[in-house]
Amino acid sequence: MSKLISRRHLLQWSGLSSASLLLSSCGSTLGSSEVGQVFEPLNQATQALLLSQKPVPEFSVSAIEPDKLLINTFDQTPQIDPAKYRLQIEGEVNHPIQLSLTDLQTLPLTSMVIRHVCVEGWSAIVQWGGVRLHELLRLAQPKSSARYVYFKSADGYYESWDLASATHPQTLMAYQKNDQPLSADNGAPLRLASPIKLGYKQSKWVTQIVLTNQLMPTKGYWEDQGYEWFGGL
Amino acid sequence: MTATPAKRPKSPPIPTQALLAKIFHWTNLISLFVMLFSGLQIYNANPVFGGRGGWHFPDFLTLGGWLGGGRSWHFAAMWFYALNLLWYGLYVLISRRWQKRFASGGDVKALRVSQNAKRKNYALHRLVYTAIIPILLLSIASGLAMYKPASFHWLSNSFINWQTLRTIHFAAVPVIILFTFIHSLLALKVGTLRLVRSMFI
Repeated sequence: MSKLISRRHLLQWSGLSSASLLLSSCGSTLGSSEVGQVFEPLNQATQALLLSQKPVPEFSVSAIEPDKLLINTFDQTPQIDPAKYRLQIEGEVNHPIQLSLTDLQTLPLTSMVIRHVCVEGWSAIVQWGGVRLHELLRLAQPKSSARYVYFKSADGYYESWDLASATHPQTLMAYQKNDQPLSADNGAPLRLASPIKLGYKQSKWVTQIVLTNQLMPTKGYWEDQGYEWFGGL
Repeated sequence: MTATPAKRPKSPPIPTQALLAKIFHWTNLISLFVMLFSGLQIYNANPVFGGRGGWHFPDFLTLGGWLGGGRSWHFAAMWFYALNLLWYGLYVLISRRWQKRFASGGDVKALRVSQNAKRKNYALHRLVYTAIIPILLLSIASGLAMYKPASFHWLSNSFINWQTLRTIHFAAVPVIILFTFIHSLLALKVGTLRLVRSMFI
């Protein structure tokens, strides 16, 4: 008899708990943005704490995975005339500058083989070649008030980074991928590449870099839809 | 617990559990299921098996509504899940519960040689719930390796490659669901619903 009651209780209990779990899932966004807002400061502080200016160990050239890098764009692929292309660096800097591709290519070339990690879960080991962003910022001489770096792209995409991540020795403005000139799909003529940030932070077709002393209400195309801002790896 | 052939009381004494063990169980169960459903939401952004063309989990099994929402839940619940396991692990060590409440050589021996069915069930159950601990820890390690592959590059690189890492992390889902069933069934077998209830209420 007691066994029967037990079983009935068990069934009720398991029925209730699975029903509530189903209700709570339902595939709805209910509560997601609130949960994100509550925990993002903690997650961001942890990521900032983990951020080191030491280079992330790189992979060998034979480890490159040419087929794994998927193309993600939020809109259209802009076609940019390399001869007319200019990169502007402005905002909280003492010497705003404009650089052509030839200017960029005369600066020291840094090559790295790193893991590119997408927010969607996939990753690809890629070789990127380009100029250290740190080097470019040094040319523009950031003011001491500069805290954040905004990147504006030819397709309307926009991003913002913390200055410490932007000046990491492996954060490049890249114009080469896997030892070839960058293709339009991958962000030609110039894109961000770094092992320390998720893929959506690594803007393609960058035309303008603006240093700011604060974070604007618009932080980035995906961040403004609910992705976390720091996006550190 | 040694057998006294004299009459046994009609109902065995109501099992009692330490309050901290109950808190651990509640927090673990809830945070683990949030991790699981939000994890399936993240999975759907790029299925581990087959990539974008691969099979997707139906919406009613996902939490968050979209990738960003799934990630918000996943990286909130991870704190409860991981810290819960951490303090409980410390408690088990400091209180020396690991000596009495977890599987030992005696249980392995009982499974092999004991003629007592109850003792064998008891031993089997202790082995099962002890074995889940390394599995829970592995799910944290593989999660951390994917969440922060630059900061913890040594951990990420110890999982052979990215696909293996993703597969191991995902394997936690079927393994933990299976464990929850077996753990519940064995607990019912060993101590009836009174034992299960004692761990939560």
